[in-house]
Amino acid sequence: MTQYAFSLDPSRCSGCRACIVACQDQNDLEAVAFRHVTDHEAGAYPDVRVSHFSIACQHCGDAPCVLVCPTRAISRRDSDGAVLVARDLCIGCHSCELACPFGAPQFASDGRMDKCDLCHGRLDHGLTPACVRVCPTRALQCGPVEELSARKAEAASVRLLESLGRGTVPDGA
Amino acid sequence: MRNGRFVILGNGGAAVSAAEAARLSGYRGEILLVSDVAEPAFNPMLSPYYFKGKIPWAGCYPLAAGFYRDHDVACRLGEPVVALDPDRRRITLGDGRTVAYDACLIATGAAPAVPPIPGLRESAHAFTLRNAASARRLDEQMLTARRAIVFGVSLVGMKMAEILARRGIAVVLLGRGRQVLSRGTHPAVAAVLRRYIEARGVDVRLGCTIAGVEDTGNGVLCRLSDGTTEPADILLVCTGIRPNLAFLDCGQVTIDQAVLTDERMRTSADGLYAAGDACQALNPITGRHDWLGTWGNACAQGRVAGRQVAGVDAALPGALPQHVSPFFDWTYAHVGDIQPGDGDVRHVAFGDAEDGGYALFSFRDGIVTGANMINCAHLAGPLKSAILRGARGDERLLRGGDGHPLAAAESILDGCRLGRLDHRQHDGGAGGRRARPAVTAAGAFSPP
Repeated sequence: MTQYAFSLDPSRCSGCRACIVACQDQNDLEAVAFRHVTDHEAGAYPDVRVSHFSIACQHCGDAPCVLVCPTRAISRRDSDGAVLVARDLCIGCHSCELACPFGAPQFASDGRMDKCDLCHGRLDHGLTPACVRVCPTRALQCGPVEELSARKAEAASVRLLESLGRGTVPDGA
Repeated sequence: MRNGRFVILGNGGAAVSAAEAARLSGYRGEILLVSDVAEPAFNPMLSPYYFKGKIPWAGCYPLAAGFYRDHDVACRLGEPVVALDPDRRRITLGDGRTVAYDACLIATGAAPAVPPIPGLRESAHAFTLRNAASARRLDEQMLTARRAIVFGVSLVGMKMAEILARRGIAVVLLGRGRQVLSRGTHPAVAAVLRRYIEARGVDVRLGCTIAGVEDTGNGVLCRLSDGTTEPADILLVCTGIRPNLAFLDCGQVTIDQAVLTDERMRTSADGLYAAGDACQALNPITGRHDWLGTWGNACAQGRVAGRQVAGVDAALPGALPQHVSPFFDWTYAHVGDIQPGDGDVRHVAFGDAEDGGYALFSFRDGIVTGANMINCAHLAGPLKSAILRGARGDERLLRGGDGHPLAAAESILDGCRLGRLDHRQHDGGAGGRRARPAVTAAGAFSPP
């Protein structure tokens, strides 16, 4: 099984929320959103910084929502590790909402849970998730975990080497 | 332990999770599951959804047919355990036969506690709600009942009041204390919930208990402590639960409110574990032993026990009292400790139940300890995570009052949601389980 995941580079995320809109469009959502963007401020004038974080379901390897669901409506897909809810089995008890540290479960007007499904339908057809496709800064990525890790490690190494060349330590190295 | 006999007492969330976890962790020995009920695992939290018509009766049994066979679990169903000898490592069944074990898990759950009120236990019209048999009995009775008394303003009592009221049955809801939901709900929040349920037509009487019960042929007559007498077709008793430990000699195993365990679900006796509603496990974060009663907690604890038996060193990282329930058109969630006791304790409330949600947070010495949330349960998951990390309340949150919109709390909790990733090997735990995906937004987050 190849575990897929999202990765986010906060140094690239501009907080534009295009990912949220793309997700809502892809999933025909109105009042509810599967993806959230948070703005985090740090520091004090004049050394201030704002970072943005786009977060949806993390499709956890050991998902707490899968563990607590009383009807076993939530399960992981073997092919890519996507955590999916069978809505016809969902009774709207909100146990998953309480279990998830990321706030991924949402509740539609029928009272049942819905959430990011890794756009597994798109993945199955060789497409990227809607949020990843639309991201203008390429902050959001999706792929097998090993590939994402390797890419991040490479990007971090490059930044480190560049800064060593300049004689400075980069932020977040 | 890779082989040997693993005996599981009980057949609820903890029991089946332990069996499954043991097999998934490579346990190849015998698993024998013993239960006094001759049915597959029943989830008591699902019966209210059956009564509300959301699931068929079969939906209360969450396991797929063939679960026991697929996980190679031998079952002795319909057989009560009458004794357990931890020193000799054996159990005694109702027919006198003994079964030796190498490891044993006490997952016998809990049963409703019925107070010793004159006439109550003998009444043919008094019901508790916990297992499949009692749910079926109640189901029949509700078809013809026109008036009900619900004794106990616990979560179960509130849910039963809702179910009865939705069916057009007149409900009198009695509570001994001064508020509904005495465990874990702040009085201000309890007052909001009480007004809500009264607006739905439920007659709520607090500071009131039952002095005596008399059967009258088709129903009951209850003498209340306030001197009045109330007739009803059915009387529901929802005054709490007690762990099913009659088979245990308390001299041999340490018991408090339930069987005490460490964070690895080990009791004071070798080779003996406990999980679920029969267990009071150590919370390594608070250092206290908490008796928690949710299906999710039972599954998390059962899983730890199953892994331990299979030789995997699993542990619960921590747990919090918590629950979330739909309630009429509202959703009510509670996380953590709303009355943390000593220290500088502050309560801060935000919002409006009918407009975006109402949340009340508790702080001790600036550290968030718990919250009650009406119609903003989406805060519960991230908040639980924040509490388990010992997150400090932001100054904005601490200064807040009724005037602050819920958005302030939300943005602060967004920050909590993004907290530092802890790279320890966490394992299970319905409370504060920090998921450990390999690459996440939080993993990419570099604090300045």
